[in-house]
Amino acid sequence: MISHDVDNGIYRVKVEGEMTIYHALEHKQALLECLGHCTEMEINLSGVSEMDTTGFQLLVLAKREAEKIGRPMRLVKHSPATLEVMDLFHMAAYFGDPVVMP
Amino acid sequence: MSKTVMIVDDSASLRQVVGIALRGAGYEVIEACDGKDAISKLIGQKVHLIISDVNMPNMDGITFVKNVKQMPNYKFTPVIMLTTESQDGKKQEGQAAGAKAWVVKPFQPAQLLAAASKLILP
Amino acid sequence: MNMDDALQTFLIECRELLQAMEEALLNLESEPDDKEAIGAVFRAAHTIKGSAGLFGLDTIVAFTHVAENVLDKVRNGEVPVDSNLIALLLSSGDHIAILVEQIAGQGVEPDEATCAAGEALLQQLKTYLAGEGQGVQITQSSVTQPHDAPLQSSGGGLVGSDTWHISLRFGHDVLKNGMDPLSFLRYLATLGEIVSVTTLPDAMPLAEQMDPECCYLGFEIDFRSTADKTMIEGVFEFVRDDCNLRILPPHSRVTEYIQLINDLPEDKVRLGDILINSGVVTQKELDEMLICQAMRSCIAEDAQSGEHVPPVPPLGEILVQEGMVQKELVDAALGKQKQARDNKAQESRYIRVHADKLDDLINLVGELVIASASAALLSQRSRDTMLHEATSTMSRLVEEIRDGALQLRMVPIGETFNRFHRVVRDVSNDLGKEIGLEIGGAETELDKSVVEKIGDPLMHLVRNSMDHGIESAELRQQRGKSAKGTVRLNAFHESGSIVIEVGDDGGGLNRDKLLAKAIERGLVGPNQSLTDQEVYALIFEAGFSTADAVTSISGRGVGMDVVRRNIEALRGMIEIDSVQGVGTTIRIRLPLTLAIIDGFLLGVGSASYVVPLDMVMECIELSEAERQETRERNYINLRGTVLPFIRLRDHFREQGKAGRRENIVVVQYAGQKAGLVVDELMGEFQTVIKPLGKIFGNLRGVSGSTILGSGEVALILDVPALIQRSVNQEAKSAGQEKLVALLK
Repeated sequence: MISHDVDNGIYRVKVEGEMTIYHALEHKQALLECLGHCTEMEINLSGVSEMDTTGFQLLVLAKREAEKIGRPMRLVKHSPATLEVMDLFHMAAYFGDPVVMP
Repeated sequence: MSKTVMIVDDSASLRQVVGIALRGAGYEVIEACDGKDAISKLIGQKVHLIISDVNMPNMDGITFVKNVKQMPNYKFTPVIMLTTESQDGKKQEGQAAGAKAWVVKPFQPAQLLAAASKLILP
Repeated sequence: MNMDDALQTFLIECRELLQAMEEALLNLESEPDDKEAIGAVFRAAHTIKGSAGLFGLDTIVAFTHVAENVLDKVRNGEVPVDSNLIALLLSSGDHIAILVEQIAGQGVEPDEATCAAGEALLQQLKTYLAGEGQGVQITQSSVTQPHDAPLQSSGGGLVGSDTWHISLRFGHDVLKNGMDPLSFLRYLATLGEIVSVTTLPDAMPLAEQMDPECCYLGFEIDFRSTADKTMIEGVFEFVRDDCNLRILPPHSRVTEYIQLINDLPEDKVRLGDILINSGVVTQKELDEMLICQAMRSCIAEDAQSGEHVPPVPPLGEILVQEGMVQKELVDAALGKQKQARDNKAQESRYIRVHADKLDDLINLVGELVIASASAALLSQRSRDTMLHEATSTMSRLVEEIRDGALQLRMVPIGETFNRFHRVVRDVSNDLGKEIGLEIGGAETELDKSVVEKIGDPLMHLVRNSMDHGIESAELRQQRGKSAKGTVRLNAFHESGSIVIEVGDDGGGLNRDKLLAKAIERGLVGPNQSLTDQEVYALIFEAGFSTADAVTSISGRGVGMDVVRRNIEALRGMIEIDSVQGVGTTIRIRLPLTLAIIDGFLLGVGSASYVVPLDMVMECIELSEAERQETRERNYINLRGTVLPFIRLRDHFREQGKAGRRENIVVVQYAGQKAGLVVDELMGEFQTVIKPLGKIFGNLRGVSGSTILGSGEVALILDVPALIQRSVNQEAKSAGQEKLVALLK
C-alpha cells in the first residue's frame, strides 16, 4: 500500500506491506503519479515487509524517471527486507542514499 | 519470517516425509491430499511455493495448476510439479499450465529440498 | 513427527492402496473398460512407487516402476485388459504387499523365494512393455556436495580474481512464472560466495511501456565456489529456457581445464565432445550453440542471392563470441582435436581391403613363383643366354612381387600392444595396484591372421602377470622395489619367427611351490628331476593354479592351458623365464605364417624336402667314419657339443639304398639345435606353402607342401617338431645309457 504526504511540493511517499509482483501494477501507477506532481520525492521503505524483483525494478524506474525530469528522489529508512534486496543486487550505490542500519 | 510451502500429494507418507524435510530446512508446510483440497486450503492463506503431484484423485495436478494460475493471490506463485520419468508429456503439459519447475519421482528428500531452495529459500 | 512415524503411515497407506488396487482389479474382471478402476490401479502403483522412493526403498521402487509402466499403457488404451493381465496384476499387487511388509514393516531384505517370485513377475510384466528401456534411476542428490577432486588439486587455493563469471539475462516472463532472480541469487550464495554483482537495468523500457510484472534485469556476477560448471548451471535449471546464461570458469580453472583437455584419450574428433568431456562447457550450452550455428548456416544458405553474408563461424568461435568459454580453452581443445584428426588421418591413409582378396592375390603370386621357377629351369636347359637373362630378370621381379604381396598382410604389432594401455589401467584400478605398461618392438610386423588370434592369449597373460605376478605395493617396498609395478610387452623377429614377450617385474615363479603342487596333483612323480623351464611350464597344465587368492581378474586355474593350446594352434611355442623376486617373462614364439618362404631344398632318395632357410645354421658332410659311428646312436659331436639328429630317410621310411654320401643340415629353433641327415643338398628355393589336407593333419614333422619348378611335390618340414623329437629321443636314450652305466 502506498500513501503520501505533501510538504511544500516534497512528496513523502510511504510503502507499506509487500512490494511484490501482486502489487506491482498498483505500485507503479502510484509512484509515477507522485513523481509527476512532486518537486522532490522521498520514498520511505520502513514499512516494506517483503520485496521481490518487481518491487526493486519499480524503485529503479522511479529513480531513472526522476533523474530524467530533474527532480531529486531519495530512498529512506530501508526496512530489512529492502536492504537485503539492495545488498543482493549490489545496488545501494546506484541509488546513492545513505543507508541507516535499523 | 519463514516461507510457507504447500505439498499436494495423495500419498500421506510422501507428504509426511516431504514435510519432515521441508520443516527441517525451516519452511512452514501445509499439506493437501489432492487438487480440490489444495485449492480450499490456499484460500485465506499465504503460500510462497506449491509442490504438487500430477496424478491425484478428485483434481489432478495439471487441472490444479491451471486453477491456481486463475487465483489473484496465487497466479504468480511458483509451482514445482512432481512428474514420473515416463510422463514427459505431462511435464510439457504442466509447464504450459504454468508449473515451470519439476522434480522427477521417485526422488530423495534432498533433491526436492534443492529444487524448492532454488525458487525460494526458507 | 519423525521418519519412523512416516514409515508407519507409509505401511498403512500401502495396505489401503493395495486393498483398493485389488478391489479395482476384481471390478475390472467384470467390467474391463471401467476407466475409474484402471485409474485407481494406476494411482496405487504410482503412489507406492513415489513414496517408496522417498524412503529409499529401492527394491519396491524397481518392481513397482515396471508395474506402473504397464498400467500407464493400460490407462492409455495401449494394452487391453484381459483376465491374464488381471491375474498378473493381482499377483503383482500381492508381491508388492510382501515387499512392503518385509522391507518397510520388518526392515529386512526380501528372502530368496520372494526375489525369485518378483523376478518371474517382472519378466511377465515386461512382455507388455516390449521395446522400451525400463531402467529406473534414483538419482543422487546433485546439489548437496560440492565437486571436490580433482579440480582443486592444482594452484594454491583460490585467489582474489579467481572467480567464476556468470552472465545472466532474464526473459521477461520469469517473474510471472514465479521465478524470481532474487531467489536464484540467494540460492547461488549457498553454493559459494557471490563476490560481486553488477545489476544491469538498462533494458528497462520507457515508463509507459514498462510492464511492472516483467523482468528487465541482467546480471554480471563474480562467484567464488568449488562447485563445477554443471552444478552452477543447475541453479538456473528452471529458468534455463527463459534466460541467457553464460558461465565462464575462473582463471585458475583455465589451466586445469587445459590439463584436462590434454589428458583426454585421443579419439575425440568433435570439438564439442572435447569441451564437454573436460567439463569446459555443459551439454546444454553446447546444444544451444549447435542450434545457433545451424541457424546461422540456414541464414547463409537462404541468402544465396549474391548479397554478402559472412561465413558461418566454426563452433569454437561461436563459443568464444557468446562468452561461454575463454579463448585459451578453445585453442587447447582445437589443438587436441588436431592431434586426434592427425591420428585419424594417419589411419585413413589406409584403404580397407577384404582379407579374402589378399589371400587370393597371395595364392596367385604363389602360382606365379612356381611358374617362374619352372620357366627359369627351362631357360637354363635351353642354354639360350638371352632367354636366360630375360627369365632371371623376371624371377627377380617375381621375388619382389612376392615380398610386396606378403607385406600387404603384415601389420605392426603396436596396435595390438597399444590396446593394453587401457587394460593395464583398468585392471590395476580393479586390483588396487599401481602398474605401468612398457611397450617395445611395436613396429615388429607379423601376419594379420596371426595378429587377430594373438589378442586373447596376450590378454590372458597380461592379466595374469598383473594379478599373480606383480606383488602388492607393500610387499614390493619390502623387497626394495618401487611401489609401481611394470608389465612389459615386447616383440622382435628371430629366425623366421616373431617372438612376443610378456614380462613383469613381480615376484617371479616359486619353483618349489609349483613342483609341490604338481606332485600333489600327480602331474609329476615325486622323484622326477625337472629343469627350471620344465617346472615353469607346469603352469600351462590344465587346472593348475598356485595363486593363493582366486580373483575375478585372472584365473581359477583355467586359462593358462587354454593360452598354450591357442599358441600351439598357431604353430607357436610358449616358454617361461622367471627369477624369483625379480620377475617373470613369458615368451611366445610364432611363425610369421608366410605363405611363401625362402626354403632350402634337400634330397633324400628320390624325394625332396624343404626347410625354411632362416632356420638352417650350417651344413656338414658326414665322413665315412662318422657314418659308421652314428649308425647306432642319434647324436654327433659338433665342435665339442652334442648335436642330436634325425635321419630323414628313417623318419619318412624312404625306400631304396642310402646315397653314397650323407650330409647333416644343422637347424635351429627357439635356441635348440638339431641335425637333419639327408642325402643331397639342393640349394635355396623359393617355396610357396600349400597347406596339407586335413587327412595329413596328424602327420608329424611336416607342415605343408610345395610344388617344385619341375612339377614335383616337395614336403616342407616342420622343423620345430623335428627338433623337439630329436632332442627328446636323445634325452631318452641318454637316460637309458646312464641307467645302463649305473647298472654296470
